[in-house]
Amino acid sequence: MPTRGSSFTVAVWAILRKEWRTEWRTRHGLNASLLFALTTLTAVSFAVGRLGDRTDLMGGLLWIVLLFGSLASLSHAFVREVEGRTLTFLRLVATPAAIGFGKLLFNLAFVLLLELVTVPMFLVLMGGPPPDWPPFLGLLALGGLALASTSTLVGAIVSQTRGRAALFAGVSLPLLLPVMAATVSGTRAQWQHGSIRSEVELLAGFTAAVLGASVLLYDHLWND
Amino acid sequence: MSSGEAAPGPAASRGAAPGRVHAAAAGAVAEPVGVPPRTGPDRTVAAGAPAFRIRASSLAHRYAPGRGLEAIDFAIASPGLIAVTGPNGSGKSTLLRIVAGLLEPSAGRCEVEIDGALLPPAARRARCGFAAPELAFYDELTVGENLEFAAEASGAVDAVARVDAALDRVGLPGRRRDRVAALSSGMKQRLRLAFAILHAPPLLLLDEPESHLDTDGREVLTQLLATQRASGLVLLATNDEREWRRADQRIELHGRGLGDPA
Amino acid sequence: MIAKVLLFLWIAAALAAGFLWAPLVPGLGATTRVLYFHIPAAWITVVALGWSMVHSVLYLRSRRLEHDDHAAAAAELGLLFCVVATVSGAMWAKAVWHSYWNWDPRETSIFFLLLIYAAYLALRSSIENDERRARLSAVYSAIAFVTVPFLIFVVPRIYFSLHPDTIINPSGKIEMDPRIRLGFFAMLIGFTGLFAWILRLKVRLVRIERRTAERATA
Repeated sequence: MPTRGSSFTVAVWAILRKEWRTEWRTRHGLNASLLFALTTLTAVSFAVGRLGDRTDLMGGLLWIVLLFGSLASLSHAFVREVEGRTLTFLRLVATPAAIGFGKLLFNLAFVLLLELVTVPMFLVLMGGPPPDWPPFLGLLALGGLALASTSTLVGAIVSQTRGRAALFAGVSLPLLLPVMAATVSGTRAQWQHGSIRSEVELLAGFTAAVLGASVLLYDHLWND
Repeated sequence: MSSGEAAPGPAASRGAAPGRVHAAAAGAVAEPVGVPPRTGPDRTVAAGAPAFRIRASSLAHRYAPGRGLEAIDFAIASPGLIAVTGPNGSGKSTLLRIVAGLLEPSAGRCEVEIDGALLPPAARRARCGFAAPELAFYDELTVGENLEFAAEASGAVDAVARVDAALDRVGLPGRRRDRVAALSSGMKQRLRLAFAILHAPPLLLLDEPESHLDTDGREVLTQLLATQRASGLVLLATNDEREWRRADQRIELHGRGLGDPA
Repeated sequence: MIAKVLLFLWIAAALAAGFLWAPLVPGLGATTRVLYFHIPAAWITVVALGWSMVHSVLYLRSRRLEHDDHAAAAAELGLLFCVVATVSGAMWAKAVWHSYWNWDPRETSIFFLLLIYAAYLALRSSIENDERRARLSAVYSAIAFVTVPFLIFVVPRIYFSLHPDTIINPSGKIEMDPRIRLGFFAMLIGFTGLFAWILRLKVRLVRIERRTAERATA
């Protein structure tokens, strides 16, 4: 059969487009995650009020809201396949690694979209000084990537269990703690005009390690 | 991952007899690669057909204590139609999934060689077409979108043309823009067949393909099987006697069916 | 049988030495004695985790269920020792720093290991099919293995530390009175023996259960 390009990237791209198309037709995951993030944001804002100059707390709260929004929906990518029973179809058209990375890119886009909606609202509701944009955005991007890469793999694992979405949060949290530590610390640092270098190094190293392990591990995920 | 040589397989350790292969009609059990396919009384074989060699040695799969595909040996060495039969729960679907590379057996090995190239499980999906009752498509997408996705993800450059051709062969050309959720079970079955033949694979693995099909659908299936068996190989798992009567060779699986007493 | 008795005698002797013979560390007073439990327990937590993870990877490569038995048994034991280490550490912290929990890097690390163990066991308990359970928990174990170094070693560089310079620090020097050191290493060996013994028992138990289940349906 005539082929074009690297088959891996072709498959990943096709899967990514398919993910967006199916998501857009129903918008289930999108709605769930945005609703969750906004609800959490409202609750936090209501409970805490305007933080003003408490820049030490703002980073932590922001990332809690983002974490909850992500946990509410990042497992969706695989759970949907399992519940729709389309996993066999997917496995027949692409390699496990391509499936994993296609879903990863989709989840990444998802997280970035979530951040795009949530962050401005957070900044407005909480008050306080504007962030130092370059490091702030860098942390959002890197943190989002770390969140997405770990969550996609864990989502693939958990989608095959009986606990599914309920188990997803508990099982992915321990793995995400280093990410949270770095993003919270880094966000605080950028508001206090410190260096975020070690946080960025942690996030970059962490993401590289998870992606590297993923390349090897996706092949073992499905065997039935 | 490579499947290791069979240790005393689950069947042996339970003291049950391993499954036996029954060869019906004119099929021989083992032939060396490279021997040109024979023409039997029921069929003629097209020139230029690929050489096949599928061999299972002590192949078994355990999916729960006491349940699974019991150890089986068989060899297939020419194009044609091979039926896989056996009671419910004997492992017909499991066997097909192992050949397709979707499932790694827990014991024994299954080698698939097409045109002299030994295909590890990961490489098999490109060269075989698979259709089974549990194969489902994306309900939110249309028939065309599902098949085009399959073609593109597999690397085809002429996805649209391939999809058109496949839909024509199964008699669903007018359904291209219908969402899968709107299809009847018979049409979904035809969609599965279209998916299986999408990249013109030399090896077709069909699990109960006749289910849900109406008369026209069965005609489509008969045509498909006739074309495929002439120049390629079909492994057909079925409970339907009408289907396996036409086979060149039959692999019969024994084993405790789900309804059998323990 | 003999080994079991010897093990108990060894641990008893080590405890006696630690409580009756070895001196106290000047700054810590009577709380010194916790180090005979707390640090060996933390040590076994890490050993058990390593054992479990190695066997998870071995399972993925060979698909032999014996490796999964080891991975699961080691994880259950690891959780137990982790709870011991966490609780004894918190009690020690209360006595010395007047606060049970501070999110000090060592405390954070041990708590993190507790979460990893708990998540691994929760994952296992949600899957019935034994091959799938082995495979998925092995994949989780492998990814946890990748993330563990980040929390144990990298995060402490971001936060400051209250914890006394421990045995496991990078400089590697052990500054202990020789008598304390003797009792301490003896307990370390004793705990390791305890872990190995219980692990063997658990693995044997799982195998017997599996064989019984197979025979029952044959």
